[in-house]
Amino acid sequence: MPNIDRRDFIKLVGAGGVGVGAGVVLRETIRDPREHLIPHVLAPEDYSSGVATWYNSVCTMCKSGCGISVRTREGRAKKIEGNPSHAVNQGGLCALGQAGLQVLYNPDRLTGPLIQSGTRGSDGFNQVTWDAGLGRVASRIDVLKAAGRGDRVALLTHGVGGTLATLFERFAESIGTPRLHHYDYDHPHALYAANHQFFGEQHLPYYDVKNTRYLLSFGADFLSSWLSPVHHSLGFAQSRGGDHARGHLVQIEPRMSLSGAAADEWVPAKTGTEGILALGLAHHIVASGLYRGSDADEWRQVLAGYELEKVAAQTDVSADTLEHLAESFVNKGPSLAIGGDGAANNTNGVDTLVAINALNYLAGNIGRAGGVLFNPEPAGAIPHNRQANFRDMMSLAAAARGDEIEVLIINDTNPVFTMADNPEFAAAMSNVPLIVSLSSFMDETTAIADVVLPSHVYLESWGDAFPEIGVGFSIGAVSQPVVAPLYNTQATGDIVLELAKRTGDTMPWSSMEACVKDNWRAIYEQSDSSTQAESFDTFWTSLLKAGVWGKSNHRDATVTLDKSAIAGVGVQAPEFSGDSADYPFVLQPYLSTMHDGRGANLPWVQELPDPMTSVVYGSWVELNPTTAEELSLVEGDLVNIESPEGSIQAPVLLFPAIRPDVVAMPIGQGHTNYGRYANGRGANPLEILSPLIDEGSGGLASNATRVRILATGDHVDIVKTSGKSRDLGRDIVQTTSGDDHTAQMNNIPITVIPT
Amino acid sequence: MNVSIQPALKSLRTAALMALFAFIGICFGYFFNFLITDNPQVSAPEQPIAFSHKIHAGDNDIPCQYCHTEARRSPSAGVPSVNKCMGCHTEVATESPLIRQVTEYWENKEPIPWIKVHDLPDFVHFTHKRHVQAGVACQTCHGPVETMDRVAVHSRNNDGPTLFASTTGQITNLEASNSGATQNDHWEMGLCLNCHKQHDVVDGKAVRAAEGGFDNGLDCWTCHK
Repeated sequence: MPNIDRRDFIKLVGAGGVGVGAGVVLRETIRDPREHLIPHVLAPEDYSSGVATWYNSVCTMCKSGCGISVRTREGRAKKIEGNPSHAVNQGGLCALGQAGLQVLYNPDRLTGPLIQSGTRGSDGFNQVTWDAGLGRVASRIDVLKAAGRGDRVALLTHGVGGTLATLFERFAESIGTPRLHHYDYDHPHALYAANHQFFGEQHLPYYDVKNTRYLLSFGADFLSSWLSPVHHSLGFAQSRGGDHARGHLVQIEPRMSLSGAAADEWVPAKTGTEGILALGLAHHIVASGLYRGSDADEWRQVLAGYELEKVAAQTDVSADTLEHLAESFVNKGPSLAIGGDGAANNTNGVDTLVAINALNYLAGNIGRAGGVLFNPEPAGAIPHNRQANFRDMMSLAAAARGDEIEVLIINDTNPVFTMADNPEFAAAMSNVPLIVSLSSFMDETTAIADVVLPSHVYLESWGDAFPEIGVGFSIGAVSQPVVAPLYNTQATGDIVLELAKRTGDTMPWSSMEACVKDNWRAIYEQSDSSTQAESFDTFWTSLLKAGVWGKSNHRDATVTLDKSAIAGVGVQAPEFSGDSADYPFVLQPYLSTMHDGRGANLPWVQELPDPMTSVVYGSWVELNPTTAEELSLVEGDLVNIESPEGSIQAPVLLFPAIRPDVVAMPIGQGHTNYGRYANGRGANPLEILSPLIDEGSGGLASNATRVRILATGDHVDIVKTSGKSRDLGRDIVQTTSGDDHTAQMNNIPITVIPT
Repeated sequence: MNVSIQPALKSLRTAALMALFAFIGICFGYFFNFLITDNPQVSAPEQPIAFSHKIHAGDNDIPCQYCHTEARRSPSAGVPSVNKCMGCHTEVATESPLIRQVTEYWENKEPIPWIKVHDLPDFVHFTHKRHVQAGVACQTCHGPVETMDRVAVHSRNNDGPTLFASTTGQITNLEASNSGATQNDHWEMGLCLNCHKQHDVVDGKAVRAAEGGFDNGLDCWTCHK
């Protein structure tokens, strides 16, 4: 037995005691956690815990008006899918629509009304009550109204349709202001103008991509951004697949879009010459006797000057190609020509689209399946006439500078970001004494507001939608709240109703819900024969369940053109800002997955690889590799993109499918005040666009700015998921021609296996 | 000449002994805690209100699904809302001290923080709906809850290796409501597996395997998905 003195004994007892304590604590820390079962105090009536409830509603991330089915659990939205019964998207939904959940749950959402207490544009927003916020706005409107100066109030909203549009109309009327504008950067002004000029139509026709067998697309990226991309993607899939002859797609554009990548032939005509190309085809169709209409002589007259050789020189497309396109277009029908995006955003945009209409007319595509079909009168408001084009927006800015506007109410649109010369526009806005924003988020426009009345996001509000390009027959859909509001916000409709009430116009509806319901009562009563419901309540319930309503009405579409329509066909050469010697490249900004920038605050959209380049989180400028070589640039080199208007910075991305005289940039990044996910990322190409206008539509010619590319000497790594776009001789992608394939298949010996 | 390293170690002796004592202490403390706080066989935590299933489901014969309404339509059986308790207890036994506790929660509009007894690991996917609709009695898995004042579950099997070892399940009669698992069954994978081996599904109902029918899922990912 070793000697243990008193000190050691105490040490050992102490160590033992501490050990016991540590053992008890150790056990305590690694024990299974005690879980609680927290019941409701009051059981909710509309769901069972653990069971998903699906609500049908409408997506408002863009204006296509796709139907959505939202999966909710325990009163929270969990997943958004396309509504299979909705004729527009038939169950499909694009990436931006899928990301709608991050609009709802975005940590940068405004959680209550704000009043700017500091200088405008500063961070001096104070939380106030709804009463204070609404009161401040209403009292100002009231004073103006009493003085008979209601026209000093301007309303600017994103493109709304249906009930909300009529509500805004009524509100503007009650204030007494003609200044009610809808503003979307991507509104197809030129397409409306062209259809009005050529067909006398107020609304857009339906382009029957599904049944066409020869699709000639002039710049229209119908698979990712043009009009109704989900609907067109479905239609294109059906045109390509199935038991019928495979649909053929020719894409004519200077920079290959997603649709260009899916095309059988990609024709890189010079920017802005798409209309001339179309008329070249038209000329060949008429001259070679493929068109036998009674007005052939008039056409011959108007198309003189568009001989193939001349057009080939202007468009940089060989006469052989043009001849083959023209003949296929007539012979391989039903054919369809569409135009938009790049082809429409030039100084000759409307003329270009008229030329494309003419091409459809000459090939006999008007009113036939697989061609251009006219929609019946829509059941709800689709106010194109309220859409402000670039010219309207500039005159609004001029009015603001001239002290003609005292109150500006902006509903969820971001013109400070999307107006091409936006610093000037923002400066004009700062001349307005009271700016009110109804946005759900802080953005560049809301930042200069004095009062912010934050609205519900679409998953929390009532509304309805009547998709503009439709599906060839009348449809409409009701948007219903799928979750209870997360924050102290109000629906846009309710804010308008409350402002109207406080300024002396008590409208007959207690809420937006009642207003939507009332509107649909009218639709129900007008169309009782086609609806089977025995009462409005049954109709309403089944409408909310199905999420969509439609009428199987079609319009007879015999079109007779008058001579003036034919005489109006003709395309001028496009104009560009800047001298081609100083600014050798044409800048083509295109809509990205972020759309016009509204999706930039959604992490899912930020991290989604761009479909053509696979770049994530940032901006880039696409250069043809030969152009880059001439400029001694490699991928990742940071360059200044300088236009006559200004300069922005972005890294170079080598993109083989772009004309060497064109550079392209995605729109959407470059936000300065749009939440943590958007701020400080990339650059906004709209900032350096010259304010050239397409005179036919008043829209911005966004493809008409010339730029030069100057190296900064810096280099960054572009974040993208793909490596090389070539297989470097490794034979990873093996190809065979169609004929070879058929021959090989026929030569495979058939072995009969004995049973 | 003897060479010893003992003198060199001598100075470390106390430290080594202290470490040994501390280690023994840790082991002792760990198992002491294990012994006094955690019955390795039965887990029956004390609930915030001493609710008795015996009085409700046993003596008064209230069907399980009167309160656990979600069991037939949801993966989770659901805990009744406080409102549901008050549905009866605004009239029944209002003066009992336990009911007064319930009333207090109701008046404060607070939920009762019940403690979960039957807990499955997060990697197990179980749905009540399927089993209840197939006619499996609640007691098959939960034991004779209607006899328990405080709900208990045999949560551990210390008899041997646990992975597939729980063969003590004596689930004989699915249709009879009060048979099935006893308190001696262990709330472990064997309980599920035994029953799945012995039964098939015909027309959405569980039947003895001998009668034929669909294989009701012995794949791993039936539950682990």
